Amino acid sequence: MTLSLNLSDLMVTAPGGRVLLNVPSLQLAAGQTLGIAGPSGAGKSTLLFALAGLVDNQRGRVRWGGDDLGAMRPAQRAAFRQDHIGMIFQDFMLFDELGGAANAGIAALFQPRAARAHFRKRAAERLTRLGVADGARPVATYSGGERQRVAVARAMAAGAGVLLADEPTASLHRDAADALTDDLLRDVRESGTTMIVVSHDAGMLGRMDRVVYLRDGGLADA
Amino acid sequence: MLELWHGFSATAQDVVTLCALALPIAALGVVLPRGFAPIPLIRAILWRFRWANALFVLLIAVSVGLGVALLAQERGLRAGTAAAADKFDLIIAAPGSEVTMMLASVYLQPADAGLLDGVTYASIATDARVAMAAPLAFGDSYQGAPIVGTTAEFVTHLAGPIAQGRIWGDHADAVIGADVPLAVGDGFEPAHGVGDVAEHDAHGEEFHVVGRLAPTGSPWDRAIIVPVETVWETHGLANGHRPEVAEQLGPPFDPEYFPGTPAVVVRATSIGATYGLKSSFARAGETMAFFPGSVLASLYAVMGDVRQAMSLMAVVTQILVAASVLLGLFILSQLFQRQMALLQALGAPRRFVLSVVWGYANTLVVAGAMLGLIIGFASVAILSDIVSERTGVRVVAEIGWSEFHLVAGFVSCVSLLSVVPGFAVLSRSIVSGLRA
Repeated sequence: MTLSLNLSDLMVTAPGGRVLLNVPSLQLAAGQTLGIAGPSGAGKSTLLFALAGLVDNQRGRVRWGGDDLGAMRPAQRAAFRQDHIGMIFQDFMLFDELGGAANAGIAALFQPRAARAHFRKRAAERLTRLGVADGARPVATYSGGERQRVAVARAMAAGAGVLLADEPTASLHRDAADALTDDLLRDVRESGTTMIVVSHDAGMLGRMDRVVYLRDGGLADA
Repeated sequence: MLELWHGFSATAQDVVTLCALALPIAALGVVLPRGFAPIPLIRAILWRFRWANALFVLLIAVSVGLGVALLAQERGLRAGTAAAADKFDLIIAAPGSEVTMMLASVYLQPADAGLLDGVTYASIATDARVAMAAPLAFGDSYQGAPIVGTTAEFVTHLAGPIAQGRIWGDHADAVIGADVPLAVGDGFEPAHGVGDVAEHDAHGEEFHVVGRLAPTGSPWDRAIIVPVETVWETHGLANGHRPEVAEQLGPPFDPEYFPGTPAVVVRATSIGATYGLKSSFARAGETMAFFPGSVLASLYAVMGDVRQAMSLMAVVTQILVAASVLLGLFILSQLFQRQMALLQALGAPRRFVLSVVWGYANTLVVAGAMLGLIIGFASVAILSDIVSERTGVRVVAEIGWSEFHLVAGFVSCVSLLSVVPGFAVLSRSIVSGLRA
């Protein structure tokens, strides 16, 4: 189920008290795509992690649909991520010893037994849609583009309504980055998924519905 | 409850104890991954860090193996020394040290001892409660093998029917223990004394091997056994018989021609008679009578403290190993901190992450413990051979229930403790883990 974002008074501080992120307000309609741009160290990834409820010292409200991540306990946030949020990382973060299909369907391992087979099937279908044919081969033998496709399939396997991607094309060469952007946006648009992408890639940012700029932990004008 | 427990057979008690010790790991193994399927991830982590894991398993295995081997060996040595003394119901000797006499007669360790005279021997041999009274005579050797003089009856009592050849029929005949490196038909010349101080060519007599005994599991397997008369004759003494029956071998001996014996091995007609004889011949200043089994038991009691210290050391060692294992697991868990952070980012419940870390740790610990048991089996076999070779006492040490209990206790403790690295992984910041 696709979800809208309603963020208010989000503040993330370092253990020493230094403010890392201060975003008074950010809204995104369900099914929209948002790009987050800005210089290195501006807090882009921190914002993305905060939107996933992964940051320890965060205050304020991060509402996905009607659920406020800030009001949830860690176990509830984990369950929310499992059901509603898919994540993609710059360096793929796959289990190299497992095959593409096993990586794409990794979340099946903590699904109820009855749901596992169906989950794996959906993950394999995602993988096929993204053009990765041989899902049994260990991902260590895959190209960078294939590895990121496996990561995308993993993020979308659960049918999450929200996709959060941290520099998804940064480790890919231009052609692979463009191809991944095409496939990712096609899938996101078709499924009506809300997507937020942190990126330096102008090609990808240019295709977002909206782009915000982050500087020194706060939103800034472009 | 205690009555119910005592009503169980020893094996049932051992099985129940083993199950109780293994219960924590079984319970955690059921509860932690319940509803999850962590095995593919555990396998992946095991394979990714395979060399570090293999080294870790090996370290656990060696420490567990040596621990169980030492305990089993100590028990085997006790059983072996007790079995070696089995055939020596009662020993009567001149007053002195029971331990020294037991070591001399059962384990054939050289000793200086007073002698029992012919009259005393006769009073033992003619006692109605005595079924066999075998005098022993020591002093000579051949190539390190002690030559012991005794009676044919005692030889049969000790080792059963002759395994090869026959018992002696002549003064120059000898039978050899199962491990003596001579063959039936060989001849040899004894040296006076035993070991480095033995004087070769001192006697000029030649013995002929006419029989080989079946193995007894005692130092007698390395002894050459000859008629007691021959030992006396070799040393220029009377041979226990009147000159007109000088060729006689074995009892009865004539007190007047009996040169003396350091010890008489006695078999009584009944168990009650054995106790009666011990009491009769425990005469201050004249004779001492003792059960080698009791002397051994006293020795074990004295050494019991040492044994307890050994057991304590084994347990302390295992605790130290467990602590090292735990520390190692903390270090190893750092290696896959990113993967665990990723799982949490994907929404994996904490219990799933815990079950992966715990499953990984326990695979290493259980594999190490199993391999340790195999190493223990091998070490026990090697150590038993060495100890048997050194002492002549056949030590059959086997990994028994107490070793299984030790290993099960060790595995369970580490299993419980290895939840701690799992919690440590969970307590780290997910974001830090993802950026690690």
